[in-house]
Amino acid sequence: MIGRVPWWTVIVVGVLAVCWVVPVLGIVLTSIRPPADVALGWWRLDNIRFTLDAWQRVWVEYPLAESFFYTALLAALATLGTMLLTPAAAYAFHFLKFRSRRLLLIIIINAFVLPQQVVVIPLFTLWRDMKLIDNPLAVLIPYVGMSFAWSIFLVKNFLEDFPKELIEAAKIDGCGPIKTLQHVVLPNATSPIFAVGVLQFLWSWNALLLPMLYLRSMVPLPVLLTKVSGTYEMNWDLRSVAAIVTTIVPLIVFVVFQRQFAAGSQTRTGAKE
Amino acid sequence: MTSSGAKPTADAFADISSPLTGGRREPVVRRGQKGLRDAPAAWLLIAPVIVLFGISVIYPLIDTIRLSLFDIKGLAPAKFVGLGNYAALFADATFRNTLLTTLIFTLGTTLISVSLGWTLAMLCSFAPRHTLPFRGMFFVTFGISEAVSGYMWINILRPDKAGLLNSLIGSVVPGFQHSWLGDPVTALWSLIFVASWSGVGLPLMLCFAAVQGIPKTVLEAAYMDGAKPMSIMRHIMVPLSMPGVRVAIFINLLGALRAFDIIYVMTGGGPVRATETVGYFMYRESMTQFKLGYGAAATVVLLVAVLVVSIPAIIQRTAGAK
Repeated sequence: MIGRVPWWTVIVVGVLAVCWVVPVLGIVLTSIRPPADVALGWWRLDNIRFTLDAWQRVWVEYPLAESFFYTALLAALATLGTMLLTPAAAYAFHFLKFRSRRLLLIIIINAFVLPQQVVVIPLFTLWRDMKLIDNPLAVLIPYVGMSFAWSIFLVKNFLEDFPKELIEAAKIDGCGPIKTLQHVVLPNATSPIFAVGVLQFLWSWNALLLPMLYLRSMVPLPVLLTKVSGTYEMNWDLRSVAAIVTTIVPLIVFVVFQRQFAAGSQTRTGAKE
Repeated sequence: MTSSGAKPTADAFADISSPLTGGRREPVVRRGQKGLRDAPAAWLLIAPVIVLFGISVIYPLIDTIRLSLFDIKGLAPAKFVGLGNYAALFADATFRNTLLTTLIFTLGTTLISVSLGWTLAMLCSFAPRHTLPFRGMFFVTFGISEAVSGYMWINILRPDKAGLLNSLIGSVVPGFQHSWLGDPVTALWSLIFVASWSGVGLPLMLCFAAVQGIPKTVLEAAYMDGAKPMSIMRHIMVPLSMPGVRVAIFINLLGALRAFDIIYVMTGGGPVRATETVGYFMYRESMTQFKLGYGAAATVVLLVAVLVVSIPAIIQRTAGAK
């Protein structure tokens, strides 16, 4: 912007921003202050003591550690699946010719509007009949399968700017379609593949509805959190720790890649310099 | 298709490009060239995608529509009822109320988060550098998982003295105590507010990016011509931020229609089913009452709403699919 910085806007935005993160501060403080001190509110300053008691007890009271690793495993597998299969398909859709190509592409890239509620009943009956309820595949298949609706679009969009000459050159050098993908396209398309991976990781980690319905004995963190919060015990400190543990990994990933998201949205709103 | 409920993180970013960059390049694959030589390799590459996508999107889509024509309760054999489930749905006062709740929730969330996000974006673009950390603070709530956001707000909205909101109002109005999530009206508006709270980062970022993308020369020219900040805003920044607003509105509408997590965590659809949207109603009917056919019919109603909202986006994507 040109001209002087109008300070009042900075102050207004700043005050609002601080208000915005108050709920986050709330659970952090609830998790590290003794319950007796926060009975009248976690923000009160009349008795300031900190304790990691809840942080130690929570692992015993809830199966938080197992759930953490299970969540990480599910998210990692789903991310891997999407990152491996998406570029291949996006490449095929963009550079190769085959029957019904455009029809398939249109169906896949428009499916992103579908809400997850659509899969709930059919997959529930299917997994029940196939005895897949409580099997990790019951959530991994829809995680990966549904991701194509946006991931293929994202990678294919990137490939639209991919220099055709490189593909032609590879062809002249005797590369078949698969060799071209492997040696020419993949090494030069790491950024959209990585972006797809980050997004898929965030949403598989945070998924609630499908794992809640299809997994029983071992559940990922968001499901565990709702179970913990659903009980009527007044253990706000333990629940706050569980909430922080649930969201800390995706939050860190999000914050680290926030710049890319912002930059990405900038270039993709046509706002290139 | 996202499964992260009301917060379509993945879509959000995938979709930013759609209305603006779709079909910008000429297709690389030219038609009319000899044969379909690539076909075997192509099918090999997309086969896993077709299989997984078929199982998790196409099959459920068709099966939901099929099931909506049957009366299925629990494990009893299904009975074909034609459009009976739909007739029953619209005769059901609870469902009609659910439609109204969905409308209020969807419009309320979209209106609040987009208008607030846009306003903040405008304010921030007067001081891009100084407001960077603040923009981060707004955007961060977008990265918090929805179940956790819900929990954080339950903590703020607690009906007892340890609830921050009650305590704040109580310091002005002595003895004030309200069960925000226990009252049907405030429960719905609490949900709307919390959904907007986590959703505001996206319109903020989109509109801010759109404004930052305005070439410096345009702004300098306006400045040289003696335009005041307010008129620069009105005549340059506002119109040029509109593409961002459109995308943000669309993403918010979709996200609100598919909302589930936040409702499940904060109110469970209650009190007295006052905060059930269609997306929650289908879950409750099918997965807790085991009325699969009835739930499927509600899902189809949700689907129709989603498709209506998405028509422009679908047209754009389809046209851009080269």
